[in-house]
This record gives sequence, structure tokens and C-alpha cells, in this order.
Amino acid sequence: MPIKSGGFERKSQASSKVPDSSMADIAFLLLIFFMVTTVFQKDRDRPIVWPAAEATQKIDEKIKNILNIWVQRDGSIFINDRPYSMGEVSAVIAPLYAASDRALVISIRADREVQYNTIDLLQKQLVAAGVVRVVFATELEQSMTRERR
Amino acid sequence: MAVLDKKKSKVSDKVPSSSMADIAFLLLIFFLVTTTFPKDKGLAIVLPEEGGEVAVSSQNIIHIIIQPNGLIEVQRGESQNVQTTPANGIEAIWRQEVSTNPNLIAAVKTHPGAPYKFMVDVLDALHTAGAERISLQLFEG
Repeated sequence: MPIKSGGFERKSQASSKVPDSSMADIAFLLLIFFMVTTVFQKDRDRPIVWPAAEATQKIDEKIKNILNIWVQRDGSIFINDRPYSMGEVSAVIAPLYAASDRALVISIRADREVQYNTIDLLQKQLVAAGVVRVVFATELEQSMTRERR
Repeated sequence: MAVLDKKKSKVSDKVPSSSMADIAFLLLIFFLVTTTFPKDKGLAIVLPEEGGEVAVSSQNIIHIIIQPNGLIEVQRGESQNVQTTPANGIEAIWRQEVSTNPNLIAAVKTHPGAPYKFMVDVLDALHTAGAERISLQLFEG
């Protein structure tokens, strides 16, 4: 009769339990890793002076469906951190608008001293791109500050 | 009496640390839920579709002409009378005009050299007055 395990029956020294005391540490490590590697799809703010309006409303649209067009005081136009000339705007916006399933809202963030001519040309470019929903980005003006002005 | 003082306390003197992670996660989830990102804000308008020109009776139009110096000229319908007003006078004018003609359309004509802020001021006044039919144009001539 053969003897089991050659006669040696030794108890395993290793614990059969998975160590769970460091589970929280692992979870936090993952959390911090993803926090550090996440990049928000947001363009950087350009130096503009905001126009103020009392009737300023919050835009009821998801952040990813809002595209900012920055118009600086000298009339230069920036979309997604890149400068464009006025003639290019329509060609840049049209594919983005189509990709968003016509849900894109354009936020015109123009300096308050920009000549209106620039804004008018920009609107014509947007119309050519088929954009319908446009927002003139403004800061909320309190009625108190208006009275003082 | 001395014997009683030597009684060992049965309460552990260690702070329980096993639920520390749970507390941390609870705080984390609380702040995740309560955080709101600042929403974009501004004056919303709807641009016309390309080529979608609509003929409007000139009686239903109120011309609001914005000059480069910020003065605003209001011209009603076909009349040649021009009324000059600052931007904060537009709201009262609109309310008064729209009560007599509900089909009124505001044609905001801005001088090409006028700063953008004056157009925003007028648009603000019209929004405050509840105007919805607004046409933004460039002032020519």
C-alpha cells in the first residue's frame, strides 16, 4: 500500500487568506493615478474683459456640447487654443457641428471693446457653417453696479 | 481601596482604524456629489438658417441703431422720427411698444466701429424686457 505523500504530511505555513488590509491603499493609489492622468477637454482662458449683462443666463447644455470662440481685443480669433483667421472659422466649425449631431452650442467669448464688425463677420461665418444656437458669453451684472455706473 | 485602583480597564486604548478607509470614501463620495462645476453663462440667441430670409412688414419693425459713441437711435416702423436714448432706456421703450404691437421685431443695427459691449447692453435690455424676436444686423449707410 503506497503511503500518501511519501509519508510526509506537512502543514502549509502560508495563510490561505488573501490579505485585505491594504485593499484601501490600492484603491486610493488607483484613484490618485486616474486623477493625475485625467485631462479635461477644455481650452485655456484667453485674456479678455467680459461684457456684462443683467439678463445673463446659465446655458442649459452639457459642457462637451459647448464650443468656445474667443475674440480678443485686437480681433484675433481662437478656437481650442489655436488662432484662426476669420475666413477659416466656418470650415473649422462645420465638421465639429456635424460631429456633435447638430447639438453644438457656440459660445462667443469676445472682449467688450471688440469692434462690432468682427462679431458680425463671425456671425456670418457661423450661419455659413449652419450653426443655430449661439450664446454671447457675458458676466452677470448686478443691478447695484449698474446704478453706480 | 488601593485594590480597586489597580483594576485593569477593559476598554481598549487604541482608536479603531479598520473603518478609516470607509470614512475616507464616504467623504470622497460626499464631495463628488456636492461638487458643481461653474456653468457657462451668457445671452442666448438663435441664428437664422442660411438663406432663410423672411419678409416682414415695416410696421412691425423697430430699428435700434447703435452708434460708435454708445448712443442709441430708435426709429419706429416707417416713421422718420428718430429718438436718441442711452442703452438703459431701451427696456422701457420696448415694453411700451410691444404692448401696442405684439408682433414687433427688434432690428438691432450696430455701427461696424461700435464696441461689442454696446450691442451686449442693448441685447441685455431687450432680454430683460422679454423680447424674443430680435434681429442682429450691421448698420450700413
